[in-house]
Amino acid sequence: MAAPKSVPRDAQVMAQILKDMGITEYEPRVINQMLEFTYRYVTTILEDAKIYSSHAKKASVDADDVRLAIQCRMDHSFTSPPPRDFLLEIARQKNQNPLPLIKPYAGPRLPPDRYCLTAPNYKLKSVHKKVTSSAGRITVPRLSVGACVTSRPSTPTLGTPSSQTVAVTAKVGTPASLAGQRFTVQIPSSQATVKPATGISSTTSVQNVLINPSLIGSKNILITTNMVSNPSNTTELNPLKRKHEDDDDYDAS
Amino acid sequence: MAAVPEPPSDGPSPSPSPSPAAPAPAPAPAPAPASPAPPPSPSPSPTLAVKAEAVESPGEGGRPAAGAAGPSPGPGPGPELSERHTLLAVLQFLKKNRFREAEETLRREASVQEALDDALRAAGPRGPDSVHQPDVSSVLSAYSNQGDPSLYEEYYSGLKAFIEAALDALKAELASLLYPVFVHLYLELVYNEHEREARHFFHRYHGDQEGYYQDDLRVLAGLSKKEHMQGNETVLDFRTSKFVLRISRDSYQCLKRHLQERHNNQIWNIVQEHLFIDVFDGMPRSKQQIELTSGGMAGEAKREANKTKVFFGLLKEPEIELPLDDEDEEGENEEGKPKKKKPKKDSLGAKSKKQDPNAPPQNRIPLPELKDSDKLDKIMIMKEATKRVKLGPDCLPSICFYTFLNAYQGLTAVDFTDDSSLIAGGFADSTVRVWSVTPKKLRSVKGATDLSLIDKESEDVLERIMDEKSACEFKMLLGHGGPVYGTSFSPDRNYLLSSSEDGTVRLWSLQTFTCLVGYKGHNYPVWDTQFSPYGYYFISGGHDRVARLWVTDHYQPLRIFSGHLSDVTCTRFHPNSNYVVTGSADRTIRLWDVLNGNCVRILTGHKGPIHSLVFSPNGRYLASGATDGRVLLWDIGHGLLVGELKGHTDTVYALKFSRDGEILASGSMDHTVKMWDTVKAFEDLETDDFSTATGHINLSDNSQELLLGSYLTKSTPVIGLHFTRRNLLLAAGAYNPQ
Repeated sequence: MAAPKSVPRDAQVMAQILKDMGITEYEPRVINQMLEFTYRYVTTILEDAKIYSSHAKKASVDADDVRLAIQCRMDHSFTSPPPRDFLLEIARQKNQNPLPLIKPYAGPRLPPDRYCLTAPNYKLKSVHKKVTSSAGRITVPRLSVGACVTSRPSTPTLGTPSSQTVAVTAKVGTPASLAGQRFTVQIPSSQATVKPATGISSTTSVQNVLINPSLIGSKNILITTNMVSNPSNTTELNPLKRKHEDDDDYDAS
Repeated sequence: MAAVPEPPSDGPSPSPSPSPAAPAPAPAPAPAPASPAPPPSPSPSPTLAVKAEAVESPGEGGRPAAGAAGPSPGPGPGPELSERHTLLAVLQFLKKNRFREAEETLRREASVQEALDDALRAAGPRGPDSVHQPDVSSVLSAYSNQGDPSLYEEYYSGLKAFIEAALDALKAELASLLYPVFVHLYLELVYNEHEREARHFFHRYHGDQEGYYQDDLRVLAGLSKKEHMQGNETVLDFRTSKFVLRISRDSYQCLKRHLQERHNNQIWNIVQEHLFIDVFDGMPRSKQQIELTSGGMAGEAKREANKTKVFFGLLKEPEIELPLDDEDEEGENEEGKPKKKKPKKDSLGAKSKKQDPNAPPQNRIPLPELKDSDKLDKIMIMKEATKRVKLGPDCLPSICFYTFLNAYQGLTAVDFTDDSSLIAGGFADSTVRVWSVTPKKLRSVKGATDLSLIDKESEDVLERIMDEKSACEFKMLLGHGGPVYGTSFSPDRNYLLSSSEDGTVRLWSLQTFTCLVGYKGHNYPVWDTQFSPYGYYFISGGHDRVARLWVTDHYQPLRIFSGHLSDVTCTRFHPNSNYVVTGSADRTIRLWDVLNGNCVRILTGHKGPIHSLVFSPNGRYLASGATDGRVLLWDIGHGLLVGELKGHTDTVYALKFSRDGEILASGSMDHTVKMWDTVKAFEDLETDDFSTATGHINLSDNSQELLLGSYLTKSTPVIGLHFTRRNLLLAAGAYNPQ
């Protein structure tokens, strides 16, 4: 084996930067991680700058393009917490409302179901399929794909499906720009009966979708729904669901 | 024509641009151009109004001095510089008042066209800023007053020389002025884009500052361009909030005399605009006394900040009848309310019907009702309280240490249930694990179909609902998207909260061991969370510099506690659930009122970010631990520092009072658990009006006497402490083999 190579210049610069910022103790891999980050950041900026300069039909990339590229990326990825006067203002507004009274004997105190994570996120395919003979009420549960972004968790779900639509969308392809983010696939329980995984009683039919879990996690989610029929329209309440007479703003925003 | 006379309601940025080139002499004619600018400006009005008052007051303050300071700002630049500035100021005045012809004539005669163009071009790059980020530019335009950059070092060294030459008694107080003046001078240089001078200035004087400001100075050293300032929220907050200094009247008058007599208008401007000097009548404080309460990022706390009445007493316990066949022979009084050993207030026994004047009214904030299971819990608590060991200097508790092995420094949060039956650990790999400490295993509830089969009327229904097949030693809860930095059990042991770097706080059910809700509000790492001692409410504090109060059944917070200058690192409820205390990376502790969200106390004194807080069981005192290794004791009623416990050499991450409050246990990164005698620390405290008014704090250096025991672990930093109901101390940490 040859003698150990000297540290490359970039790594030396990075080590010097860390020292200047006052970081004295760090694992050796930190330098590699910082270099990777730097490389990726600079490459992204320069690629964006190239796009901007070609859009402006310029011969070469100049400083303005780079500046614009940096500005756009800053707003997107490196956000900083809101400024103080903004926080004071929203705090003032929020703190004006009196604390709500607590209703006694209300069971587990949880927000309305749409804000909870308690809905089942799968349905089971039943053993026997029933073909409806009645007047074509075909219920297809539509799927909503919620994208959870780690850096900025904005609200996920799309609207809850109405049970009356005949949905044709069988494939949900997500754009490649969502690469690297996590998805939760939530199928809000439609008005059709939903039974939990542990048991399916044979009295009511329940039908649905088999989601191949191996597909989840890849960038493009391919979800096929089985168009099934639901002969009985009994909206039997899910025994797991709590009865909320005063379920405020369930569907309102 | 260089600029049209804009109506006064326009934004501030174009208009003060020529005049800020004028330093000290300008304030005399400056009130005219300054006064139309501030009031009618729309959105950034609060900060701008502050600036307006500040700008005008140097006008008034400067006017008597303007006569003396008339000729030149300093010995160096000759009279032509000041005349040019005066000229520009006069031109500005004429422009403001629409004396166009006079302005044209003057301009022609003085031939200052180029100068104006230069000044306006300098304003140019600021223009787009104001369009792009109006609030930021208004905040930063506080720096538009600038003197000659090369003189800044002279200003600063002049101030330093004056302080050295001051009376010994006043020297310590005046020296506390140096740091804020240094920072503001540096930031002015950076904002006005004199990078070289800024760097030179910083390099020369940053070593003079106090040790505890080194972290902030390091951040400042990284800011060398104006653009850097805009992204850094902490620096911006530092600018808008006034640095508070508390000095005695003698020192203040000496300072004022000095700043007004010499040509020190630049420093006087800074003092007027950015410092709040809280003057008190009394003896000047010594260096030691100042050291005790200094350290906060924005100086100390104003006296008015700590004047609100705080209800630190405890709420009355509800009356619970013990079942008749209970063999507890602690006598019951007539109402059937058993006497408790735990002394809550100074009243004897539990018969006090009188309201404690320091306790909040029972219904000040709505609290959940007591369920049957809670009543059973309370009965258990009372029974255990009778078997509690009484601790004291001669009877120290035994410590049972739970070491997390193979955690590879990934253990970031730990919590115990009140009855010490479960431990929750939050890890850097985003999992939360719950262990059972007792031999009883963890079981989850059966599924819905099985539940429908059991007999609901049977006596042991609570055992029957549990699924025996799922019994195991520990359960892992998956769901977070980043390291879990805070965990908290609910008092009824049904829920567990965890807060994480992904910005959410998750509520887990301990009966099904699944996640129930994710509360999204902070969009930045949430450093700490805690349930209220009565359940239902919980708080969280994070990187966005606010703490939020939530309830489990609202998806949005009910209260937002905003005011800290830097991340909120530690949040705790008061035992009566009416107040919340937050410790922050800006080295201050704030006490907030849950009812209206106001900050009722600001406590400064730590020299590093605060990582642990605990209230005494009687609610009167607060203990806090920070990265400086000191544990400070505070009296909440008066808002004063009453004790300092030195001994730890590294961050104190865990603090807990024993059940009756006689012993304070502290656990730290230096692998030790130390126990302190609090009975002695809190006896005969002098909290009279004098010390409240002046902030004179005299602490005796008795840390060694108060230290009852120090217990070293085998390279395991201690991050969790808990006293069981019988006063056994439990501690937790992850073994760190390096």
